[in-house]
Amino acid sequence: MIVLIALSGALAVCAVVALGLGSEHIAAGQLFSALISKLTGTVPPLSREQEVIVFSLRLPRIALAIGVGATLSIAGAAFQALLRNPLADPYVLGVSGGAALGSITAIIFASELSLRRPLFGFAGAAIATLIVYRLGKREDDPTHLVLAGVVMSTFFSSVIVLLTALADNVKLRNITLWLLGDLSSGTIEGLIFVLMAAVIGAVVLITQSRALNLMMIGERDAFAMGVETARVRWVVHLTASLLTGAAVAAGGAIGYVGLVTPHLVRLAAGSDNRLVIPASAITGALLVLLADTVARTVLAPRELPTGAITALVGAPIFIYLLIKSRTVP
Amino acid sequence: MVNSRRTILIAFVTLSLLAGCSGAKSNSETSSVAANRRNFTDGIGRTVAVTPNPQRMILLAPNVTEIFFALNLGDRIAGVTAYCDFPEAAKTKEKIGDTLNPNLERIISLKPDLVVVSTASQLENLTRKLDQLAIPVYVTNPRSVREVVASIRNLGEVTGAVDRAREIADEMERRIGAVEGRVKDLPRPRVLYVLQTGPLITAGRNTFINDLILLAGGRSISGDENFDYPQFSRETVVARAPEVIVAPSSHGTELVKESDLRRDFPTTPAIRSNRIVWVNPDLVDRPGPRIVEGLEKLAEGLHPQKP
Repeated sequence: MIVLIALSGALAVCAVVALGLGSEHIAAGQLFSALISKLTGTVPPLSREQEVIVFSLRLPRIALAIGVGATLSIAGAAFQALLRNPLADPYVLGVSGGAALGSITAIIFASELSLRRPLFGFAGAAIATLIVYRLGKREDDPTHLVLAGVVMSTFFSSVIVLLTALADNVKLRNITLWLLGDLSSGTIEGLIFVLMAAVIGAVVLITQSRALNLMMIGERDAFAMGVETARVRWVVHLTASLLTGAAVAAGGAIGYVGLVTPHLVRLAAGSDNRLVIPASAITGALLVLLADTVARTVLAPRELPTGAITALVGAPIFIYLLIKSRTVP
Repeated sequence: MVNSRRTILIAFVTLSLLAGCSGAKSNSETSSVAANRRNFTDGIGRTVAVTPNPQRMILLAPNVTEIFFALNLGDRIAGVTAYCDFPEAAKTKEKIGDTLNPNLERIISLKPDLVVVSTASQLENLTRKLDQLAIPVYVTNPRSVREVVASIRNLGEVTGAVDRAREIADEMERRIGAVEGRVKDLPRPRVLYVLQTGPLITAGRNTFINDLILLAGGRSISGDENFDYPQFSRETVVARAPEVIVAPSSHGTELVKESDLRRDFPTTPAIRSNRIVWVNPDLVDRPGPRIVEGLEKLAEGLHPQKP
C-alpha cells in the first residue's frame, strides 16, 4: 500500500512538472497559480496563448501518456502472470499486431473519419485475441499460446508490410510514425476511451489477482484449491487483450512498456499480483509520461515519436534485468 | 482503355519489326550514334552523354513529365510514372511503375535513349544500374523556384527544344518578377504551412514551399528548421501566432483537417480572422512549369488584391 501511495505521489509530481515543460517556456510560479486558479474557478494569470498551450495541448497529451502507459503495463503484467512467461507481453501474443493492422487498415482505407482508427484498432485486437486463443488453448501448457501469438504477430506484420508497400508517400510516413507510437495526434475520444479502459481493466484484473497468484504455482494445484482456472484464464486473457487494443488504438504501438514495467515492479516489490498489477499501472504511466516528455522537448520545436524513446530506454533495461537474473540464482 | 493498350501493343510490334529489319546495319549505326552524343552536366554534377534530339524518353517524376509536355515533346515520351497525371495526355503514356518504385525491366524493354530522374524520388540505385547499362540518365535537382526555371532551360538544351524552353522560362521569370514586385513593399505575414494534421507536419527551410512563401511575400514560422518536413510542436505554433495558415487541399484523402486546426490553434490570428488558404498541392510541390501558378495563388492568398 505504501508502495502504491509513493508511486502515485511520484506520478502526480511528474505530471505537474511535465505540464511545465515544453517547447514554449512557461514560468513555474505562473503555472502553479494558474493551476490553483483553475481549480478554484477564477481566471488563470496566463495569456490566451499560454492557456491553450497548457490546458488544451499539454494536459490532454499528458493524460493520454498516463492512460496508455498504465493500460499497456497492466496488460503486460496480466499476461506474464497468466502464461508464467517473463517474455509474454501484448506484442508477443499478437494482440498489438492485430490492433496495429486494424488501425493501419483504417489509415489507408478510411482516414476521413477520426473515430474509425480506434474502432478498427480495437476490433483488430479482439480478432487477433480470438484466433490466438483458439489456436493456442491447451489445458496446462501456456507455451502453446505464446507460440500461437508469435506466429500471428509475424503474420500481422507481414500483412502490414504489404499494406505499407501499397500506401502512398504521405500515408507511409503516417503509418511509420504510428507504428512507433505517436501521442501527438490523440483525440479527446481516444483519451476518454483509454482512461476508461485502464480503470475498468485494472478493477477486473485486480479481482482476479488472487486466483492468478495461485495459478502461478501451477494450474492443477490452483484448480484443486478451488480456482475456476478455465474461467480465470479466459477472463484475464480477454481483458488484457482489450486493454492493449484500447491503448494501441489511442496512442499507436508503443513498445517495451508492457514488457519491462512488470519486471521492474516485481524486482522492487515481489510477485504478488495483488500489488504487481496496480503498481505496474502507475509505473507504466510514469515511464510513458517521462518518455513522451523527452520526445516533445529534447529537439523542440521538432517532436519525436514516443515509441522510439520507450524502445531506446526499454531495451537496455530489459538487457540489464536479463543479466541480473542470470547472476542471482 | 483496352483500345489504347492495343494501339501501344501494335506500335510495339511494328517498332520491333522495323528494328529487326534494320538489324544488319545496327552495329555500325550504334557506334556512329555514340560518337554523335553530346555531353551535358546534369543537376547533380554528373556528365551525361545524350544523342541529339532523343526520341524515346522515359520520365520518372510528375514535374519532369509536365516540363516535357510544356516543351511540346509529348510525342517523344516513351514512358512515365503512375503519378504523372498532368497534362491529360500524360495519362495515356506507358506507365513504368510509380515515382519511388519504377520497374527497371519495363524501362529497359522500352529501349529509352534518355531517362530523366528528379532527385526528389531518391533513385540513386536505379540511376547506377541504368548507368551500367549505358542508358543515359539525366538527373534534375532544382532546389528553389529560380532553379526550376533554370532546369527547364537545361532540359531544353538536352532535348534540342532550346527555343521553346527559352520561351517558357522567360515567361515564368516575368511572372515571378511580377509577383515579387507586387509584394515587395507589403508587410510579410507569418505563415504556417501544414502538410498534415494528425501528427502535425510542416515544411523546413530548404523546401520548395518555404521558397514559395518567401517569394509570395510571407515568412514561414517553421522556416528556421533544418529538417525538411519536421513533425512540429503545436505549442510552438500557438506561441508563434501565424497570421495565415496555408494547407494543401485534399486529393480525396483528408490530410489536413480544418476542425483540427480550429481545435488546436484557436488563439492564432489566422484562425481568429479565418485566413486558411487552400492550395492545390500539385501547383506548389511539383518543381515544374506550374510552380508559377502556385506562386501566384499563394501570393494572392497572403496578400489579397482589392477588387
